[in-house]
Amino acid sequence: MSNSSSRPHGLLAEFETPAAVMDAAILCRDAGFSKWDVYTPFPIHGMDEAMGLRKSPVGWFTFAGGCTGFFTGMTMIWFMNKFDYPLVVGGKPLFTPLFAFPVSYEMTILLGAFGTLFGMLFLNRLPRLHNPLLRVERFKRASNDRFFICIEAADSKYASEATRQFLAETCHATAVEYVEE
Amino acid sequence: MKTLSRLFGPLFAVLALVGFLSLGTSRLVAADGTNSVKASTEAVAASSHGHSHDGHAEGHGEGKSLLREIGLRYLTAYMFCLSICVGALFLVLIHHLFDASWSVPIRRVNEQLASLLFPWMLILLAPILALQQFIYPWLTIDPATDHSLAVKRALFNTGSFNVLLPVLVASWGWIAHTFRKWSIAQDKDGAAIWTRKARVLAAGGIFYFSITLTLVCFYLMKSLQHQFFSTMYGVYYFAGSVWTTLITVWVLVLWLRSTGPLKNVIHKRQIQDVGVWFFAFTVFYAYIHFSQYFLIWNAAIPEETFWYVNREAGGWKWVGFTILFGHFVVPFLVLLNQDVKLNPAIMFPMCGWAWLMHFVDMTFNVMPTYGPLKDGPQVSFWDPLFWFGMAGFLGFMFLRNFRAAAPYPLRDPRLKEAVTHHEVPAPGAAAHH
Repeated sequence: MSNSSSRPHGLLAEFETPAAVMDAAILCRDAGFSKWDVYTPFPIHGMDEAMGLRKSPVGWFTFAGGCTGFFTGMTMIWFMNKFDYPLVVGGKPLFTPLFAFPVSYEMTILLGAFGTLFGMLFLNRLPRLHNPLLRVERFKRASNDRFFICIEAADSKYASEATRQFLAETCHATAVEYVEE
Repeated sequence: MKTLSRLFGPLFAVLALVGFLSLGTSRLVAADGTNSVKASTEAVAASSHGHSHDGHAEGHGEGKSLLREIGLRYLTAYMFCLSICVGALFLVLIHHLFDASWSVPIRRVNEQLASLLFPWMLILLAPILALQQFIYPWLTIDPATDHSLAVKRALFNTGSFNVLLPVLVASWGWIAHTFRKWSIAQDKDGAAIWTRKARVLAAGGIFYFSITLTLVCFYLMKSLQHQFFSTMYGVYYFAGSVWTTLITVWVLVLWLRSTGPLKNVIHKRQIQDVGVWFFAFTVFYAYIHFSQYFLIWNAAIPEETFWYVNREAGGWKWVGFTILFGHFVVPFLVLLNQDVKLNPAIMFPMCGWAWLMHFVDMTFNVMPTYGPLKDGPQVSFWDPLFWFGMAGFLGFMFLRNFRAAAPYPLRDPRLKEAVTHHEVPAPGAAAHH
């Protein structure tokens, strides 16, 4: 397996409780690491603050999607009912924002949801076909009963021995494992 | 039994006072009343023949008198203040229904706001009952000459109006007081039984609340134009009411935190959640009001459309646009960003704005029935007098009641969950390791 490459991916630290991984995340945040992540079997409230994550920019994708949807809906109905094929229905005007509103509103929700989903995938660089952590035997418990922190070698503060020591001794990890790319 | 008699004692006393005041005032004003009542009777009778829009427009313009104006402007202020009381009652009901933990620290504020329903909102109802003949033209019409009144007479008759309306408002007061009483009892003994009892009352209470809120709205506001049909009317009032209540609670809670009583129990979570709820009701109100308008516009049945046709005449059209943009579009866009819901520099002015918009909304419902429609909205000194007078009085009573009990449910079983909520130290504050 290691003959393809022996470049380091990073160090994987294992924790037994949510509280332990939360404390460790606060330490990692305050130590100034930037390329690192926490893996837990379930969401832990407050982890965003513990990791020092800034507010997700995905809302802007939602907003852009919603605006696009709203104006697409309005324009579509104006084009079809008033411009391209004028048709009187129920004695109502050929176009008014009133009857175009329900459709525009649904379009706002639809494209807003698309904006959220695809914006999230884009910001997370997803889909991604493989992650080196998936080769690690102990990492399988990340979806069951163990909590992990991985500090990547690409981090400018990463230094294999010092970081291992930091995770094991300062953060009290129950195990620290070196992961290859 | 003992609690029952202790409860019904003041209830009857206040009901008797309300009745006495109503009767006395209506005798005093009876002489002045005859003319305006006659005028409005004829006008409405004339308009109900053809259902023409002009008929309605002219019809309501004729019943003008000082007492009618005072009555309608008082009603506007009353509907505004009632909003905050029923909105707070709803927040208490919902808290118990969902067995919520996050809203425990703000629950006492809601209980105290809702408890203003009795006796104060009931006493404040007296002038409306006293001036009923001036405010509600349908009370003076013979159902035999008015088909739309004849078919609605099960609800719209003098007897039910005078009995049901005060009894319904008093019954909300009873529910609110019961919640508060049990909550305060729990402060003393910390027993879980109070929480269980409140949950049972909330389960039945939510049905009772939604049905009776619609009834009271029909009596107090919708019956101003008794020919109108809208099954959404109660929900429309409800949506605007809870909207106004939530921003009021947001400001009250932040103020009570900074001045002391709620200092250690209100966290970011409570403030954010009330803000998010306010945002949700911004959308819910727009959804409900749009639905009412859109269904009426689409069906184009004269019995329904006249209500909005009235409100598109003269300057009222611009009041409608003010509600569209001021009640929905602007607050919606401002509140989209999640940090705004934690920012007093935006939320405090927003509270003033929401109060103004809800008052405009109540005016939009009540005042077009007064004066020629082509004149549009007329602001009078009665508006701030009744509005600030009533709100100021209720605010004073709120503070008095608030001081008399603990500022939050001291021994609620879920208080601990609510106040020990995932507080993560800020960067640099983790030196304890």
